Amino acid sequence: MTAADGLAPAAAMAAAGPPAAAGSAAPDGSAAASLFDLRVAPMQDFADQAGAVAAACHDMAIRFHRGGKLVVFGTGGASTDAQHVAVEFVHPVIVGKRALPAISLTSDVATVTGVAARDGMAPIFAHQIRFLAEPADIALGIAADGSCASVLAGLLAARALGMLTIALVGGGGDGEIAASRAAEHLLVARSDDPRIVKEMQVTAYHVLWELVHVFFEQPGILAPGVVA
Amino acid sequence: MTRQDSETGQGTVESLYPFLYASTSDLPAVLEEVRRSTVAKAAEIMELRQVICARDGARLAECAQQAARRFAAGGRLFAFGNGGSATDAQQVATLYLNPGGGSTPLAAFSLASDPATLTALCNDIGVDVVFSRQLAAFGRKDDIAVGLSTSGNSANLVRGFDEASRRGMLTIGFSGYEGGKMAELDSIDYLFVAPSSSVHRIQEAQTTVYNILWQLTVAAATRQQVIR
Repeated sequence: MTAADGLAPAAAMAAAGPPAAAGSAAPDGSAAASLFDLRVAPMQDFADQAGAVAAACHDMAIRFHRGGKLVVFGTGGASTDAQHVAVEFVHPVIVGKRALPAISLTSDVATVTGVAARDGMAPIFAHQIRFLAEPADIALGIAADGSCASVLAGLLAARALGMLTIALVGGGGDGEIAASRAAEHLLVARSDDPRIVKEMQVTAYHVLWELVHVFFEQPGILAPGVVA
Repeated sequence: MTRQDSETGQGTVESLYPFLYASTSDLPAVLEEVRRSTVAKAAEIMELRQVICARDGARLAECAQQAARRFAAGGRLFAFGNGGSATDAQQVATLYLNPGGGSTPLAAFSLASDPATLTALCNDIGVDVVFSRQLAAFGRKDDIAVGLSTSGNSANLVRGFDEASRRGMLTIGFSGYEGGKMAELDSIDYLFVAPSSSVHRIQEAQTTVYNILWQLTVAAATRQQVIR
């Protein structure tokens, strides 16, 4: 959420038209339409990553099958996505889908602010992972840009523990999270606008949730696990 | 946090989910199915955004002008919703309050973020009043109420909009399907419906719509200041 933010207001102003046009005249849909248009290319790009989505779903299903839980984290707007993912898995919107264990590391305000006050922002998730997570678990880090230090540290702590690591990142996918190779699965939202990145990431985690279940419905593709 | 907690034992599990123990496997076919499904979902959300843009583009611009006037008059925004939509309410609040990138922060509160208030209201009165009661405590006539739902039927949103409208607030609703009960209310000034039967696609489209509404509102606020 750094340099990337700078582009959005300018884009909004440009898209919303010249100042003279708008003060009193009845608004039309052109300003909104040009903003909607900005969503098309990043979404097409997400569709191009469908193979990576499938691979991530498969690995997630294996972890759930072994008794692992999903641990989700992100800062700023992505902290709300972490909570969204947790409720998505624990309380499925589609009747008949099984509940899967998932927690957000952004909801315990006492611990987050306590770690931040003592040690800085970087270890807010890594600390929780070290004490709450287990090797069978899955780490899902969500970042509006590609370099969130807290998310990166969380992924590294998860990797060290033996967890499956997945990252949803924005920007061009050339940030520090990608460079660190901390995430075994990396899905990139190709936009410099953190709001558009979020929209792509909402689709990404919805699809991850829904398609993880496909692997539970198919015979023989998950090795016999601890639990079912 | 393993699923063993909810199952009675390995024998029972095996009989419940025999397919998990089958020896046949066709992983490449399943991965291909999941890949295709991902591409199809991406196409679905792109199409839904187009429909909403054509239907609601002009109303979004008009709504943004009204919201900008409220902010200029000292109004604050209050966002609310349940479940995944509660995380959207938090996102909407932080979008206005902490936009970054040089955009002016605007006063916005999430009514879904304080577990003490929420559990107190749920426990003492009931879930139907969790938002209306807070709006009764905070709301003033220049304020803005933003309620998000996928079904459009949540009783506590209906109660929230009633209270907000009674106080003269600008009321903005987000729903899905055909709009649900929210489409029948006189208490909502601007209702944006994501016409889909998928909760996931509805939420993804709503994310885009509230992001664009924010951009248009910031642009309108800037223009109104220029003109004044």
